Amino acid sequence: MIRLRGVSKAFGAVRALDGLDLDVREGEFFCLLGPSGAGKTTTLKTVAGLELPDAGTVELDGRDQRGVEPYDRGVAMCFESYALYPHKSVYDNLAFPLRSPRHRLPAARARERIGEVAELLGIAGLLDRSVGQLSNGQRQRVALGRVLVRPARAFLLDEPLSHLDAKLRQQMRAELKAIGSVRRTTTLYVTHDSVEALALGDRIGVIRDGRIVQTGTREEIWYRPHDTEVARAFGRPRINLLPGTVTPGGGFRSADGAVELDLRLRAEAAPGTGVLVGVRPRDLTLGTGPGHPLTGTVYVTEVLGRSVEVTVRLGEQQVALVVPRGEAAGLRPDDPVRLSVRPENLLLFEADRPERPGRRIGP
Amino acid sequence: MTVRRRLVGWLADAALILYFVFALFPVAWMVILSLKPANQLFSTYFSFSPTLDGYRTVLGDSEGIPFVRFFVNSLVVSVGAVLLSLLVGLPAAYASARWRFKGSENLMFTLLSFRFAPELTVIIPLFVLYQKLGLFDTYVGMVWVLQLVTLPLIVWIMRSYFADLTPELEQAALLDGYSRKQAFVKVALPLVKPGVAAVSLLAFIFAWNNFVFPLILTSSEAQTVTVGALSFLGGDRPKYNLTAAAALVSVVPPLLLALTIQRYLVRGLSFGAVKS
Repeated sequence: MIRLRGVSKAFGAVRALDGLDLDVREGEFFCLLGPSGAGKTTTLKTVAGLELPDAGTVELDGRDQRGVEPYDRGVAMCFESYALYPHKSVYDNLAFPLRSPRHRLPAARARERIGEVAELLGIAGLLDRSVGQLSNGQRQRVALGRVLVRPARAFLLDEPLSHLDAKLRQQMRAELKAIGSVRRTTTLYVTHDSVEALALGDRIGVIRDGRIVQTGTREEIWYRPHDTEVARAFGRPRINLLPGTVTPGGGFRSADGAVELDLRLRAEAAPGTGVLVGVRPRDLTLGTGPGHPLTGTVYVTEVLGRSVEVTVRLGEQQVALVVPRGEAAGLRPDDPVRLSVRPENLLLFEADRPERPGRRIGP
Repeated sequence: MTVRRRLVGWLADAALILYFVFALFPVAWMVILSLKPANQLFSTYFSFSPTLDGYRTVLGDSEGIPFVRFFVNSLVVSVGAVLLSLLVGLPAAYASARWRFKGSENLMFTLLSFRFAPELTVIIPLFVLYQKLGLFDTYVGMVWVLQLVTLPLIVWIMRSYFADLTPELEQAALLDGYSRKQAFVKVALPLVKPGVAAVSLLAFIFAWNNFVFPLILTSSEAQTVTVGALSFLGGDRPKYNLTAAAALVSVVPPLLLALTIQRYLVRGLSFGAVKS
């Protein structure tokens, strides 16, 4: 169990963490998602005790870690830079934790354990190599192996799949959570890849400017995003956000008048308020179906394998939708089209402001 | 165009050759001098009957001057000074590269200032101190005073080596279950080995070549070759051939060392300058 309360950390004039709160439950696989510079790595290093917070507390298994040295915290970390020992072979890198005073195993047991981990990560053939002879993907797996080779109170993984090529990344992503020790051990996993976060995280925390913006399961993050930026971070193509205002009747009218939705927004926003209506590309359907109707013209179509991404112009706005290939077969640019969206698939946000992205206000 | 370029090339070559002659002539002159018999010392320039008598005299400890002893003294004192400096200087360099503490920059600057203060400014008080403390003309005294020469060099050069290492390697070692001291010894230190080799050699050469300290702070027991070689100039007639032979013999250890670790040296001296 990892608990951070009000953790702040500045490097000179740069505020890396700004009152960050975080709870990772026992045995949970928690993904911390955020853009570079959001404070992800600093969060991990603070948990590990490699950075000392200027303010706030770090708890592991309910015990305050103030004054506890990194080697006594019992956490294992995979660095984004790999931090492999360049003067040692792959085997010796993996064996290094097992030769330390705190995690020592007899040589024979260590060899066995390293063999298992190497097998698991597909690096069994590389054990005699020096680190300098490895590709980045191989180094990353060795770095991961050094974490998995020993028991730990928590695993801290800093973008451990980012340097793998696409195929290997997908494969490792699937395998990572199946690894026994990962399943049993509390894991804090840092990534900037929303697909990875959705695929791996029991829960996901979205970090921005040194603070946690939202924590939740993938469903919560997907269906109830905290603000427009979280909504934009998940899902490709990105969520459609139509700017407009609330009409006196409580409906929605886009800025150029091309889209009018018969909503009941009185409860969420006063008439005249600037809002954004969000709808995910897969929630828009072609043709007249149940829900709100929309009309526009086809702008461009792009085939994505079995489905097609269609960009439709609604007045001055464009929306993207993803439909099965068959339905989009006859579409040509400038064809008029009808779209429909179910009311339960609409999200309502405040308009974005310069100082912060618009919060979700409904439903 | 090509003619001009070729002309420039020739001129450059000529200038280089000229410089080589200028730079190497003193060495050649020393070699010649060391091979001259005593009776032809002042009568000839290049034509003489070469003999190794000079070397025999020097290495045979004749003329009442214990040159071999000076040689051994130099070895003991220089190696001792470098070892002590490494023992103290490597942790100091590491600490100053990794951690800013109160006064750390001032401390480092003070250390460096030992190098740009001429030795002569402190030699008189040192002489008095050494007389009082019983360090005059002892190995301990020489190793001690040579720290002024070797320690700043080792600390400053090794500091930049350690600064170039990413701290994440030691952080990884901490999380692998090692203490800070173990992380330093097992991870940081092996990675700066080329630097240690290069800086040890430099420090050794500086210590070996030092003249002022042994001149004033030793008399016979701990006297080194730099001062000892001059003993041959005393007496009624200066024996230049013996001085030359002694000087050439005393060049051998640094030269041998430099040749054996040449591989490290080139890599080591450029390593700190270039970020990988």
